[in-house]
Amino acid sequence: MGIVFRLAWRNLWRNRRRTWLTAGAIAFSTTLLFAWVPIQFGAYDMMINASLEVFPGHAQIQRPGYLAKPKIQNAITDAELLTKSLRDSNQYAGVSARAQSFVLLSSGSRSYGSQVVGVEPEYEGGTSTIPTLVKQGRYLSGIDAQEIVVGSALARNLKITVGDEVILLGSSKDGSVAAAILPVVGIFKSGSNDLDRFFSEIPLRTFQEIFAMGNTAHSITVTSRNIEQQPQLLAQLTRALVKRDDVVVLGWEELIPGMKEAIQVDKTGGFIFLSILIAIVVFSILNTFLVSVLERIREFGLMLALGSRPKQIAGLMMLESGLLTLLGLIIGVVIGSALVYWANAVGLVYPGMEELVEQFGLPSLSRIYPQIKLFNFLLGPVAIFICTNLAAWIPILRIRKLEPVAAMRTI
Amino acid sequence: MIASSLSLLGTLGWRNLWRHPRRTLIILFAITLGVWFMVISAAMMIGLIEQQLNDTIFNLTGHAQIHHPKFRDDPAVEHSMPLPNKKLLETLDGGEVTQWSARVRLPAIVMSERESRGVTLVGIDPTREIGLSFIGNPVVEGRSLESVEDNGIVIGQRMAEKLETRIGKRIVIMLQDKTSEVADRGFRIVGLFKAELEATETAYVFTGLSTAQTLVGMANEISEISLVTRSREKLDPLVARLRKATPQFESLSWQELEPLVVTAMAVYENFIFIWYLIIFVAMAFGLTNTMLMAVFERTREIGLLQALGMRPRFIVGQVMLESLILLFLGVLLGNLIGWLTTDIILRDGVDLSAFARGTEQFKIGSTMYFIWRLEDLLTIDVLVIVLGLLASLYPAVKAARYVPVEAIAGN
Amino acid sequence: MLRKPAATAIAFFFICSLNLSLPLPAQAIDAGAIIQAAMDQWRGTTSHSIMSMTIHRPDWQRTMTMKAWTAGDTESLVRVLAPKKDAGNGTLLLDNKMWAFSPKVNRVIKIPSSMMNQSWMGSDFSNKDVARSADIIKQYVHTLIDTEQSDEHKVFVIQSVPKEDAPVVWGKEVLRIREDYVLLEHTFYDQDMKPVKRIRTSTVGMMGERMVAIEQRMVKLATPEQYTEIKLISAEFDIEIPLEMFTLSNLRNPRL
Repeated sequence: MGIVFRLAWRNLWRNRRRTWLTAGAIAFSTTLLFAWVPIQFGAYDMMINASLEVFPGHAQIQRPGYLAKPKIQNAITDAELLTKSLRDSNQYAGVSARAQSFVLLSSGSRSYGSQVVGVEPEYEGGTSTIPTLVKQGRYLSGIDAQEIVVGSALARNLKITVGDEVILLGSSKDGSVAAAILPVVGIFKSGSNDLDRFFSEIPLRTFQEIFAMGNTAHSITVTSRNIEQQPQLLAQLTRALVKRDDVVVLGWEELIPGMKEAIQVDKTGGFIFLSILIAIVVFSILNTFLVSVLERIREFGLMLALGSRPKQIAGLMMLESGLLTLLGLIIGVVIGSALVYWANAVGLVYPGMEELVEQFGLPSLSRIYPQIKLFNFLLGPVAIFICTNLAAWIPILRIRKLEPVAAMRTI
Repeated sequence: MIASSLSLLGTLGWRNLWRHPRRTLIILFAITLGVWFMVISAAMMIGLIEQQLNDTIFNLTGHAQIHHPKFRDDPAVEHSMPLPNKKLLETLDGGEVTQWSARVRLPAIVMSERESRGVTLVGIDPTREIGLSFIGNPVVEGRSLESVEDNGIVIGQRMAEKLETRIGKRIVIMLQDKTSEVADRGFRIVGLFKAELEATETAYVFTGLSTAQTLVGMANEISEISLVTRSREKLDPLVARLRKATPQFESLSWQELEPLVVTAMAVYENFIFIWYLIIFVAMAFGLTNTMLMAVFERTREIGLLQALGMRPRFIVGQVMLESLILLFLGVLLGNLIGWLTTDIILRDGVDLSAFARGTEQFKIGSTMYFIWRLEDLLTIDVLVIVLGLLASLYPAVKAARYVPVEAIAGN
Repeated sequence: MLRKPAATAIAFFFICSLNLSLPLPAQAIDAGAIIQAAMDQWRGTTSHSIMSMTIHRPDWQRTMTMKAWTAGDTESLVRVLAPKKDAGNGTLLLDNKMWAFSPKVNRVIKIPSSMMNQSWMGSDFSNKDVARSADIIKQYVHTLIDTEQSDEHKVFVIQSVPKEDAPVVWGKEVLRIREDYVLLEHTFYDQDMKPVKRIRTSTVGMMGERMVAIEQRMVKLATPEQYTEIKLISAEFDIEIPLEMFTLSNLRNPRL
């Protein structure tokens, strides 16, 4: 076996230029795929994360049916206990309870409909970035403070600023009128049109009082340390709540449904594109493999005459092409790793990215980091390895039909 | 002299190529595939950009708009403008503007027996919307509005579904009139329109301009003027003239109205160029390799030619010409097949309706169109040929460096 | 037309229950005239009543006691008396404009058109239902389609079809009015002529010297376990109501 190996390796270097060029083509495409897949998937993660971290969180616990038709009466009765127990288990990065309702917000001159959310100011920062996005004034101070923060576009429409009072008018859980006057302590700007135009937040206890909710809340939002752990998070929560049939656990696919399909479209497109690229590379180097067989037919004829079997020769050729592709792959992986490493250390941004995603209604984004998963790294190289070798084997298969004398007579 | 030598070299080159038909065909295929891929990618990108632009412009934005300075921030009835005065009319009817129209555009509530939703009521002059916006297109069910006096209503198909209503039924529109009172009336649904995005179908309802004016008490007032011209670019002089004609109102081009789309386009266009380079490099390895092979196997021949007096630069020229023919053929075929794909096979676009929710998230329609532009084709062609020639330089120079005696003797 | 519960609706019922001395020719009973006559009578009349409104849902129920004043068909003031946490809330109607007052915030808020579809006081009636003026009956074509017999009373069955541009979503409305002008039933049909919601009177009696509908229930037929019930506790008519009653300051500071 050792001799065949050495033979194959030496054969490769009989024509250095050709070998290097072919290996170069393979290295190029390998680098591309090796770096692209993790980075693209990282970009998806970033999009999902950016959409989730601003408000929806990584998972939410709600009553069944609430997501589709949010009725104020459809509240989790032991929300307080449940939230506390989840928090005490110390298994989650952030746990916060919320209650919501649609109200009329009224300043002196204007009235606008708004979705008001009762939050736990101390814990909301663990599940939403809104507390950090307060551009004027400050966030809510305590769980029963009489305060409100509103979105920037909403504040502009109501013609209010920090310090002004707004009147809140709506319907409570028991049907009675919910009304309150609250001073605006902060104005936030999330970059998401929906949030800035319609959302306002008040402390949870205040909400519960105004809307006659008692101890109940509509959702418990949970986040894990990073988005990649989200499937485990869902599993964990589902297990923790398996005995209860009065709540459901919702993951990002239900919380931001359009995103899943958007990513699907992009993935499919990307897959097709890269497949075509691999095809181009393969055809581009097909000649190399062809020639490396054809130009040695005399040699093969000699080997056959001396007693080698066609299978052995074919095997030698396959080993050669295998080594060649491996050479290219290794170079490609090395360069690709360097790229991924750099991307991971620095995070990627490209010019125009901010505006692009604002257009898609996503809140302001952070940098893209590669998604470090074995599958992502293997996908490209394995695909290239298989495709190039398959292409290489086409001429090799003809060797089996070689006839020694005729072969040796070839020019 | 040059001409005859060129034709000599050319003939040599051509014949050389076909001495090894399989080899030539393989690399030709690689080049064709590469060029085709570039053409398709560009066409897809342009299709995407065009679609977004068209949607934006056709979606009531137009090439330019005139309205009350506070209207964009707060589209309420008090921020109306009068019908165009003589000076403005002169500019609008001046010939540069191909179509313009006045509209009433106000926030309203639409109610059916079972549902109600917030919408924007748009009062239009139907004859003038043709060529100006999407509502100028024929409706998919029922009839379009016929005149400014038309008191029927045209709503989106998916809006009708959400309201649980149909053509022929009445819906009630309620909004704030000029005296801050509630104005409402019943409208019979006379037509249903279809748009790429569900968001468009549920955002707007249309009726005649006069009907809307009467409803809110806007006697001779409108909300906005929208116009289109012959060219989508170069709107600055026109906008400047509009500003002069009505200085107290805001005149804006679409780029100013939708700056995000402009940025998005720039990002796309930058990307595509990088993509071209990637595809080219994938091809280039094979091209160089193939030319090297071609040169290598003709060492003796080249040596002989040199011994017979052919100067090195002619050798270079001959190899380059060979490569040029190859590239030229590849480019030609790639363009041809590319054109076939975009204009014949994929003329109706690719149906992405399986990913409808995803494309909605990206704000693109569920059909992907391919549009080629001459400038893109030329860019690709020139790029491939120039870079391809550069890639062939190495083998060509190599060939010219052969020392005749060694060349003839060796091999 | 008769989509007004509470204030104006109750007022209308009172009026309908007036024993009109209008002669009703046996043959040509004009439906429009019945309603029009009732309206004419009512236009100059005032009322003051106390009622209870019960909102019933499958898993909870709430009852409020309210006081209402009406004058004509364009002015009305409703104030909640009980329970304690709702007491003091009020709604003022002037022409088509509606204001709400909440003692918790001590402010008067004008209800914008975008909120007109929200529920009134949490009941099955919307703000729009309550705010509709009687002028609306001109927007219908009324036809007498039947005459029934119920107990010892003759009952007119009137069908009201909205005119083309009427700001009414319904396909038709069917009313059952007793000969003494008590409304027994009012059904709202969608434009496919399927019934969607219904107000039905379960008890009729004398109050404030008039025959009135004492107990009524409003139900959405698709969800019969959800309804709002109005029970009249006391009423008086044709009383003197000071002009200041229907003002914003009175809404805020109940002196009257």
